[in-house]
Amino acid sequence: MQQRNGSRRKFLQGMGALGVVVATAPYVKTSHSAGKLAIGTWDHWVPGANDVLREVCEEWAGSNGVDLTIDFITSIGNKLLLTAQAESRAETGHDVYCVPQWMPSMFRHRLEPVDDVVNDIISAHGALSPAAEFFAHLDGVWRGAPAPAGSLSYPSVSRLDLYREHAGIDLTSIFPAGGARNHELVDAWSYDSFLTAAHKLHAVGKPFGAPIAPTPDGNQWLGSLFAAYGAEVMDASGDITVDSDEIREVLEYLSRLTQYMPDSVYAWDDASNNRFMISGSGSTAFNPPSIWAVSSRDMPAVAEQLWHHDSPRGPKGRYRASAPFFWGIWDFSSNISAGKDLLRYLARKDVVDRLVAGSKGFDIPLITSHYQSNDLWKNAGPPSGVLYNYPIRGDEVPTTAGVPAPPEYGAQIFAQGILPNLVARVTQGGDTFDDAIGWAENEMEGIMRG
Amino acid sequence: MTNRTRNTGALGALIGNNTSLNSDRKWALIASYACLIVFVIFFLCPPFYMLITSLKTNAEIADLSTNPWIIEQGLTIEHYISLLTETAFLTYFKNTVIVAFFVVLITMVISVLAAYALSRLGFWGSGVIATGVFLVYLVPDSLLFIPLFKIVGGLGLLNSYWVLVLVYPTLTVPFCTWIMIGYFASIPKELDEAALIDGANHMQMLLRVFIPVALPGLIAATIFAFTVSWASFLYPLAYIYSDNQMVLTVGTVTTLIKGDVFHWGGLMAGALLAAAPPVILYAFLMDYYIAGLTSGATKG
Amino acid sequence: MVDSSKTLGSSQPIRRGSLYIFLRQRSTIAFMMVLPLLLIIGCLVAYPFFYSIYLSTLNKAETAFVGISNFLFLFKRETFWMVVQQSVTFALIAVVFKALIGFIAAHAVNNIPSKGQRKWRGMMLVPWVIPPALSTLGWWWLFEPTYSSFNWILEALGLSAIPWLSDTFWARFSIILVNVWVGAPFFLIMYLAALKSIPEDLYEAASIDGASAWQKLIHVTIPMMRNIISITVLFSIIVTFANFDIVRVLTQGGPRNSTHLFASYSFRVGIESGDIPLGAAVSLFMFPVLAVLAFIILRNVRQRTVNI
Repeated sequence: MQQRNGSRRKFLQGMGALGVVVATAPYVKTSHSAGKLAIGTWDHWVPGANDVLREVCEEWAGSNGVDLTIDFITSIGNKLLLTAQAESRAETGHDVYCVPQWMPSMFRHRLEPVDDVVNDIISAHGALSPAAEFFAHLDGVWRGAPAPAGSLSYPSVSRLDLYREHAGIDLTSIFPAGGARNHELVDAWSYDSFLTAAHKLHAVGKPFGAPIAPTPDGNQWLGSLFAAYGAEVMDASGDITVDSDEIREVLEYLSRLTQYMPDSVYAWDDASNNRFMISGSGSTAFNPPSIWAVSSRDMPAVAEQLWHHDSPRGPKGRYRASAPFFWGIWDFSSNISAGKDLLRYLARKDVVDRLVAGSKGFDIPLITSHYQSNDLWKNAGPPSGVLYNYPIRGDEVPTTAGVPAPPEYGAQIFAQGILPNLVARVTQGGDTFDDAIGWAENEMEGIMRG
Repeated sequence: MTNRTRNTGALGALIGNNTSLNSDRKWALIASYACLIVFVIFFLCPPFYMLITSLKTNAEIADLSTNPWIIEQGLTIEHYISLLTETAFLTYFKNTVIVAFFVVLITMVISVLAAYALSRLGFWGSGVIATGVFLVYLVPDSLLFIPLFKIVGGLGLLNSYWVLVLVYPTLTVPFCTWIMIGYFASIPKELDEAALIDGANHMQMLLRVFIPVALPGLIAATIFAFTVSWASFLYPLAYIYSDNQMVLTVGTVTTLIKGDVFHWGGLMAGALLAAAPPVILYAFLMDYYIAGLTSGATKG
Repeated sequence: MVDSSKTLGSSQPIRRGSLYIFLRQRSTIAFMMVLPLLLIIGCLVAYPFFYSIYLSTLNKAETAFVGISNFLFLFKRETFWMVVQQSVTFALIAVVFKALIGFIAAHAVNNIPSKGQRKWRGMMLVPWVIPPALSTLGWWWLFEPTYSSFNWILEALGLSAIPWLSDTFWARFSIILVNVWVGAPFFLIMYLAALKSIPEDLYEAASIDGASAWQKLIHVTIPMMRNIISITVLFSIIVTFANFDIVRVLTQGGPRNSTHLFASYSFRVGIESGDIPLGAAVSLFMFPVLAVLAFIILRNVRQRTVNI
């Protein structure tokens, strides 16, 4: 049913696009013949990254005779999402829009299929990250192509000095910046050994901190922890699976881990772990390199002791929270063909390298070969190699809260913070496992309404 | 406003016993000042802390070992300078002024006309309208902004500050009409009868008689409309995303907070500068505003 | 509409006819004068209001009419009932404290010599003048878990730090605190004006009867202020009940949804989770409560209209 609707829609949209092409054809006169293209994209928080993206897009526009405008929209206060809701309801606004993570699914009915673009990219540059497939390839249709900026992951960010001194762990030898890893050491880096380290570091007043609140960061790190225990609130076929041994096991683990975390983590926002680490109070957080970048500016003594590395391993494997960013094209856009052309251009190796450099390595290209062949993360410092393990280098599997539920439900599991709330009910609210699981089941039923 | 010693005030006098009138007054005064000091500390503590933060270096803000309430490592105005030179703050400021100007203008024209008609030209349905206007005040903007997307989009005003000029009057007009009705109602009927006999039409009467007499109310309503259009948050959050169309409240929050890296110094500097115009306006026109706000209510 | 009334003077001789025309013109003029107001309310308030009622009767994908089942669905949700309870508690407690602080502060200002009154009043008005979205950011920075300068004071005094925004109780406390901070000055000015309008001879008469200060408060001040107290409280309940900015900036509804109010919860459900019909249904729940208030206010309004 869904499929049939989809293909019919696609057909109609195809006709619509044709109509537009025919209608605008007679106006081909000047160098600005290829029409207008308005882009709405995520406002990068690395200074200067927006400028590079603007340059790249304007170069493309200049050589293709497109009249291009680009707006940078912050994700603070969910403005990026709010604007997407506004534009999709008003059926006006930008042509190309940035849709990170769950947004291709949320707006799948309004996003033009871009299968041709993504297939061209894959055949030219190789495979995309598996996360891209999960979030943007919906019911067999690509609703977004890799965005030129924004895709990030949530490695552990730890203080080398504190781990060495108080936990007896040398993180640089487990996760070196390049060269072969020692598999035994890596394998020993599990959630159990992490718990032991967290205990020791808490004892000296330098705890591990991560938000247990329904913010993106809270969802991200808990998503990877749940996945490592095989704990799913909903499985891939859309069945509610909250009441499981795996969920109990992960709640059990978190009851112990939270003893060694600050009490305030239940109110943390996405910046709290940054401030926590930058102030020197914390030993580990799960975050992209912004902690390192800001402390390099404000607290260099802290920055020099930071190291990004892999997540701990759980009984069901090693998972890294990731947020892939896509650019989609609204189906009400009047210049879909130009949009598609731009998306293809932005996947070129030279373009991607410029953009990655512009973001100071914050962005990890979704096209796997593009980051593997880029030395930027290896060379960053001090400390030298601090960012090497920021892109996934080992056996980690990208994930987030809500995976592997069907994306229309996963998006809501994430937005309503089911995982952080479930955990907080137990570890902060003192609910029994059964009560908390009962609450989550009730919420999940709510999420599944038609 | 004459003799302020007139009553010792119920609250103040509660503290002193009926020993002597003088010691009564003394204790009432002491108690009053004590209350005032406590309240002023409570009311001014956040703005004070914002000011302190805005004058600190980033390194001192990030440093946990210092006393957060004072500036220890030297005062700096770098946050103000970078706010004015490196961000679009001045553009936001300009947009906000334009929006506020037109909203005030539109609001005053609509409210004065409507208030005149409703308070003087009683006609069929005028009572219903008067109460209806009041009911509008009950509909929160958080309910309206989603349905308004379609209207805004249809008019092609999404991401233009003119959309704010269009929708802010829904927040200002009901209350301003209300204030003006109160003021017009206090003008004696003999005045307009006299004017009518002199052959003045309604427009002339409104302009020559009512507006001059109700000037304090007009000023109060103007300040109210100005404040609302300066402070409103949800509508610009929902409808504006470009830097060149943004207004101060949302703009200060969005350009200064970059992802999860918070520029607290700049943020506080921006918040203070953005709050300055209404604060300055109040400093000069506070009495009119208070008179306008309270006139209607005290009469009832 | 200006021209139409010009005939007024010239048509004076035919009395009956002119009166008839006058009346007709008068109502036409009046209607024209009210028209902009009606247009703006009709198009930008009434229409979207009814449209959101319509939205609340659709299914999640907005493809089918489902009647009241969105509302029935909400009734079964534990989180929704929590939001109802929180909104009511929040509004009541916040308004009581705003009224109380406003009342005490107004008396204190009224008590001191008149030449200092303006200065004190001005200082206490500041919270009300700063746009709340911006001042709440200042509060947030005061509460920030790692850098909280309130906790710095507490720790300097040898007390333990307070989890301002992470503990359920303290998070609710903080939300109310900020709301009281923003709203109390409004009560202050309203009450101050009311206090000044109480005729002095009432107090003198009470003094002659030997009334104590407490009796004056109960029998003179409060009855004279009753009207303004009720109006101010009702106004404030409406604004407080529909609050969005403070929760949005301070807690985003956390921890564990314990600080969500109607507006912030509807934003979470409608915009952030992409279920706009359900979000609209949540918002509409504000209306029964507000309608009751409206009824009470309307009675005040009617009384006032009669006075006119």
